[in-house]
Amino acid sequence: MSPRHRQAVLLLAPAVLLLLVLVGGSQALMLVASLGRRSAYGGVTHDWGLQNYLRALEPLYVRVLARSVGLAAATTIACLVVGYPVAYWLARRAPPTMRRALLVLVILPFWTSFLVRMYAWMFLLRTEGLVNLALGTIGLPALSLLYNPAAVLLGQVYGELPFIILPLYASLEKLDPELLDAAADLGAAPGQVLRRVVLPLTWPGIVAGSILVFIPSLGAYLAPDLLGGARYVYVGSLIQGQFAVARDIPFGAALSFALSAGVLLALWLLRRPLRAGAG
Amino acid sequence: MTAPSGRRPSAGALLAVAVYAFLYAPLIVLVAFSFNRARLAARWEGFTLEWYAVALRDQHVLAALRNSVIIALATTVLATAAGTAAALAFHRLRLRAQGTWDALVVVPLVLPEIVLAASLVLLFAAMGLRLGFFTVVLAHVAFSLSYAIVVVRARLAGFDRSLEEAAMDLGASPLRTLRHVTLPLIAPGILAAALLVFSVSIDDYVVTSFVAGVGATTLPLHIYSMVRSGLSPEINADSTVLLTATVLLLFAAWRLEQGRRPRQVAVPMGLGLSLLGAPFLLAPVPLTGADRQLNVYIWSNYIAPETVRRFEQRHHVRVNVDVYDSNEALIAKMQSGNVDYDVICPSTYTVQSLVAQGLLRALDFSALPHLSNVDPRFLGRRHDPGNRYSVPYFWGTTGIAYRQSRVGTVDSWGALWDARFRGRILMLDDARETLGAALKWKGLSVNTTDPASLALAQRALVAQRPLVRAYNSSNFEDVLLSGDVWLAQGWNGQFARAMAQDADIHYVVPREGSMLFLDSLAVPRGAPHPALAHAFLDYVMEAEVAAEICRTMQYSTPNRAALALLPASIRDNPAIFPSADVVARTEIIEDIGAATVLYDRLWTEVKTSR
Repeated sequence: MSPRHRQAVLLLAPAVLLLLVLVGGSQALMLVASLGRRSAYGGVTHDWGLQNYLRALEPLYVRVLARSVGLAAATTIACLVVGYPVAYWLARRAPPTMRRALLVLVILPFWTSFLVRMYAWMFLLRTEGLVNLALGTIGLPALSLLYNPAAVLLGQVYGELPFIILPLYASLEKLDPELLDAAADLGAAPGQVLRRVVLPLTWPGIVAGSILVFIPSLGAYLAPDLLGGARYVYVGSLIQGQFAVARDIPFGAALSFALSAGVLLALWLLRRPLRAGAG
Repeated sequence: MTAPSGRRPSAGALLAVAVYAFLYAPLIVLVAFSFNRARLAARWEGFTLEWYAVALRDQHVLAALRNSVIIALATTVLATAAGTAAALAFHRLRLRAQGTWDALVVVPLVLPEIVLAASLVLLFAAMGLRLGFFTVVLAHVAFSLSYAIVVVRARLAGFDRSLEEAAMDLGASPLRTLRHVTLPLIAPGILAAALLVFSVSIDDYVVTSFVAGVGATTLPLHIYSMVRSGLSPEINADSTVLLTATVLLLFAAWRLEQGRRPRQVAVPMGLGLSLLGAPFLLAPVPLTGADRQLNVYIWSNYIAPETVRRFEQRHHVRVNVDVYDSNEALIAKMQSGNVDYDVICPSTYTVQSLVAQGLLRALDFSALPHLSNVDPRFLGRRHDPGNRYSVPYFWGTTGIAYRQSRVGTVDSWGALWDARFRGRILMLDDARETLGAALKWKGLSVNTTDPASLALAQRALVAQRPLVRAYNSSNFEDVLLSGDVWLAQGWNGQFARAMAQDADIHYVVPREGSMLFLDSLAVPRGAPHPALAHAFLDYVMEAEVAAEICRTMQYSTPNRAALALLPASIRDNPAIFPSADVVARTEIIEDIGAATVLYDRLWTEVKTSR
């Protein structure tokens, strides 16, 4: 092993150890639980089988999963469409001395409780809320803004936006301006520069941000419950309910593994496009 | 439109302004309501600084705030360092089976928090770790590490290694190269990673709720524990102070970056730091391992600090109060056996489950002389025959609160199925409560396991679904107060607070009968201070103490002797103390064993029905 190699292994060791012990260890315990059955008082019996996985594949639960994937995808797309231009502006157009402060301001709201902020959104969006008050003063009719899929999406985008802006910023910030100038000098229209130069070079940031938004969105439950009025079941609330209400840990664990397997499979199938552009 | 500089603001700048407005809109509401006189955030009732005074005095919340900051800072340092190191290594090593490594990084992001939470409790128990501060930090590192790795790796992608190689060729040691070449180049990535890690840690609720032990209650735990009694604007005041401190520090840092001297930013810097430092100075020092100490695990707003202080003085002990926010987290902690609580406050079905698993200590009645103060109606119920393991602490009912000017007088569950009120009805988001309401309406038991009865109740809920505006078990009283719904199913304690604010709101326990809940105090089998725990149980059953708890917390006390000591405003409030015949028509929601799964399934089907 070369010294460089040894150094890299040392760098890797703390993270890998932490992940293997804490995540690997705890999930090994869950994997065992997912093969058991719920005992009368919510424990796990040693009655092994694949019954929980078969149950997770029932149409009832597949529908829930499909709805969650739809929400996560819509959230990711909306976050990208809104977040990319903002990250671009922050990294390349904002006054340089203010960039770091502006970046921190993106995440600052997230240091207060998400629950309290969701309550605040309910206050803004409800029938007699501030948004409708504003609409009323300019002569527009009040809208039913809460308890529909659009409200859920709004809450999700609100909750995830910084998780895409920050990695995009980190990736846009290192973009070499000379490359953009060169492309323009060679006659590329602004649209072409974006498509052929900027997007490919920042692809790793786009992928990282999308992963950090899409995956946690699959488990969302606060925005759907509060802003959506819990009118639909998403897989996040479903799994939460297995642990907290039904106390069916084996089934909850099986759902969680099915979800993880699905995500890992998707990432593996998409590995080539996801890695394109990465060094 | 022209900007002052004479240049048109770019589309990017305008979008950025819009996005900042979007991100800060709820914060403006949050800050505004920290100055609102009303207890519930439904409407503005005048300016006050009262909540700041409350926040300043509330040692429990201050301690929680302090814990949150310490845990988030520790997590940020550990996870960002380990994550950056790992990202660098991934970048340098061309690892075989890259996919496996990627999976290792992605899995913590995929895992629903509750799955990680429940399994980490098991893991910590297996590793012989007592739950406390340390386990919270470990758990936070576990789920936030991936954020750091993913962000720093994205920054490193396409990173030109020739710079590093040049530095090494010129004789720089690997460490010097790292410090002077690599780290400065990836600094924006590290900053972004650290900010994300801090954010996911400081607001984490689910994982913390499972892995926190004695003295490690964080602010999110406190907030979620408050949900069932209604969030207090005190939380808004705390959040406002925290925000102000951060903005001041940010401002100071920005001026420094602009080349100001440290002396010139002393004012904002000093103010920011002292605001951040306040909870560290004002909150009590956490206790661990003291001999004369009692560890209580209870819902927030269930016992007043003064009540606790009097017990401390009488027995010359310190009482550590951690707040409780979910029965499931409690069960998981009790099962794993690696936490040191002396007194816990489980609900009825949880008592049943804990007793069945042998996790509670049989009570010594000779140490509980004041048990005779408790109303016999709440003793010897089926969840704990003979009260061998638990004594009742608070009770309440499920009922309907309604806006009388809109719906007239209501006395039946049928009102929640009345098509005239389409889109104006709110139901709890809870399988047992909604199916329970339908079962009661049809004259059946809320603890039935008969499939035909349950199918009947389910059909009723499916038929009701188009009429329902929202399912909500957290701030349903706010939704009713705000006027979005006219009829709401919910628990009496939260409705009593809404009624205090709006005379048009009334509460009724439907004539068909309803659900009764009972929160009890119990002593875990492994309690380190059982004698003191008994003394505490007996203390809260003293008439004066029970009356004080009821007066300060406004929940129904099962203490008969305390009733005479209560002011009429509380004793005669039908939402707090319903009449005897109303109570006689209620049933306690019991643990129904395997049928719980059936209830959950039926409820999922209701919510996925078209």
